[in-house]
Amino acid sequence: MVSACDALFREESMKTIVRTVALAAGLLAGVATGAFAGPYDAHKGKTLVVNFPAHPHYNAVMKVLPEFTKETGIKVEVDQLEYLKMREKQTLELTKAKGDYDLIAYVVFSKADYVFADQLENLARFFMNPLLADPAYDAADIIPGYMQNIGVAGGDKGYLAGPTGSLFGIPFGAETSILGYRTDIFSKHKLKVPETYDEMLDLACKIPKLEPGMGGLASRAASGQHAAHAYLLHLAPLGGRVFDSQWNPIINNEAGIKAAQALKTIVDCGPEGAKTFGFAEAGAAFLQGKTAMFLDSTVFAGQVDDPSKSKIAGKVGWAMHPKGVRHGSQTGGFGIAIPKNAKNKDAAFLLMQWLTSKKADKLVALQGGNPIRFSTHADAEVNAKFPYMKTFGEALKHADPDWRPIIPPWGKINNDLGTTMSKIITENADIKQSMDGLAARTKATMKEAGYETFK
Amino acid sequence: MQAANTRRLTPYLFLAPSLTVLGFALLYPVGYMVYASFLNWNPSQHVSQAEWVGLRNYTFLLSDPSFRESLGVTLKFAAIVVVLEMILGVGLALLLDRKLKGMTLLRTLFILPMMIAPIVVGLMWRYLYHPTVGPLNRMLTRLGMEPVPWLSDANWALVSIIIADIWQWTPFIFILALAALQSLPRSAMEAARIDGATGWQQIWHIKLPLMLPVLIVTCLLRLIDAFKVLEVVLVLTNGGPGLSTEILSLRIARTASEFRELGKAAAMSNLLLAVLMILTLAMFAYSKFTEVRAARLRAAMQDES
Repeated sequence: MVSACDALFREESMKTIVRTVALAAGLLAGVATGAFAGPYDAHKGKTLVVNFPAHPHYNAVMKVLPEFTKETGIKVEVDQLEYLKMREKQTLELTKAKGDYDLIAYVVFSKADYVFADQLENLARFFMNPLLADPAYDAADIIPGYMQNIGVAGGDKGYLAGPTGSLFGIPFGAETSILGYRTDIFSKHKLKVPETYDEMLDLACKIPKLEPGMGGLASRAASGQHAAHAYLLHLAPLGGRVFDSQWNPIINNEAGIKAAQALKTIVDCGPEGAKTFGFAEAGAAFLQGKTAMFLDSTVFAGQVDDPSKSKIAGKVGWAMHPKGVRHGSQTGGFGIAIPKNAKNKDAAFLLMQWLTSKKADKLVALQGGNPIRFSTHADAEVNAKFPYMKTFGEALKHADPDWRPIIPPWGKINNDLGTTMSKIITENADIKQSMDGLAARTKATMKEAGYETFK
Repeated sequence: MQAANTRRLTPYLFLAPSLTVLGFALLYPVGYMVYASFLNWNPSQHVSQAEWVGLRNYTFLLSDPSFRESLGVTLKFAAIVVVLEMILGVGLALLLDRKLKGMTLLRTLFILPMMIAPIVVGLMWRYLYHPTVGPLNRMLTRLGMEPVPWLSDANWALVSIIIADIWQWTPFIFILALAALQSLPRSAMEAARIDGATGWQQIWHIKLPLMLPVLIVTCLLRLIDAFKVLEVVLVLTNGGPGLSTEILSLRIARTASEFRELGKAAAMSNLLLAVLMILTLAMFAYSKFTEVRAARLRAAMQDES
């Protein structure tokens, strides 16, 4: 009887042990599954709608996007538009209660308009969320000049970083200025690659004498945005700014006038027709071998060694934007942000984080896009394919986020600056008088926009 | 009494739906534009968030030298192109209004430019005007002449745009003038010829007075179009050098999209609309007068024949 009871007890104990072990194993498996759930699992199967510009960088991104879907299970639908059209469409989209876009690319000067109108998500809450933020993201590797110029708002001057600033976007498709030069022409005449503005201006006018029919340096100069951009490119390295810290226009000071003179000299010593050049024409003049130097955006570099587009393939060297009183390569291009009216904000952040990660930055760079990270610029594989990338990385150490103001009335001031410069270039208008007039009109525009409220 | 009233109202009842739709489609956008011109409104704001500023946009424009310069350029451009296109178009119609071999083909070829999209016309002329590879300057250089700074000189830039516009739109005047010519009573021409009128007298005293009502409407249509020209200017000069070719429609587009000042852009559009309305009313009044005169002339000719 005892042994029967004992046997029964042992059998029951055995069952209990088996049940307990099974339960524990089940629990452990459950916990383990939870602990190892990917950050993308909650969003698998979702479709994000993004708005990108038709731009070489974003064309490269299109080739990399399938990798994101493969890795995360999140689908991406891209509405790619010509960039001015993209801006127009975004202006309407962002005012809607529920928008169609989960992620948008924006051109840098839209930052002021969108943030001021409270249409972009502050990214702090996403980077604070452990379910979304990747600890290996390494934001410090992203070029600070780009981050401050394109991503941050609310700090110094309202559009820069500073104690009161926040992050609203991440640079993506950003670019800086760089000097391209013809290695064959420079070695033929034993010319030194210019490191300072004086050297560059001297060479710009010396080359047409050494190589008749060839211009010194290709620059934009067409009335409006092109002439304004070309002028600002020289203003910062020569020590100038458009405004002082109190929003007084100082564009007519010594540095401002020197920058205008520099642009006029460059255009006067430039190739035939330089006075009407936009970015495309200036680039074409260099690619067709009509100038010995080119100083403008890095986005151009991809075409130089393509024999189908360039007559100077294999004959171009790259150097940093020359120094005036300081180094000051430009910062600009595009960033990506999450609209306030987006439907899938968390998933959009995951895409944004993935696209700007070290891995994707390199993938996009290898497809011909513009990297935003120091590590990508220094990467051996990227440099093997694009040997100029290391020089670009060096130039970006001096990227100036404040070379151009990013404030709502800038469109109007920029246009006035562009037409004023065009008059100086084409009509030989007196530089001092023109810049004084521009400063007075800028002051009136700033007053109308409320920038003198605290004066 | 009731039957009479019903009869009187019936046509209005039939007209009411289309008039309502037309009125809404026509007046609502214009009314909205007038309302917008009293606002300080940027595109990032909903219209309800915009600040009411009364007439401030209009007073600003009247004191804005850039706006005045744009208005001046537009008036100069419109006046020159319309006068030259009218002279050339009517002249060519008078010249080609005859039965010759290959005339149909020639007429068809002649109207081709106006069928091309303005943006393409701009790109084509941009190439023609190119300082180094452009055929125009290459031809001038071959002839031993100095190349012309077509687009980089403030005076030449406006001339270049005028040439491109004349090239594209003279055929429009030509085709309407030719249609008007061909609808004239042939018997009147024959009678004039029998009476010994010279070719020039026939043109001056018979053809042109009879064509005048059509020519006025043609001129009005071209004038309205010339005031609104945009694409060719945008592609050729983008308003430059300086502001030398910044016509009003380009200024309006810039004010709305680049400067993001929708209120001021609406005020500019309204001023442009007012100028065009005044011109239209004046030309319609003159058209009425010429129609009466042409009818009298026709009647006199029929009596004579």
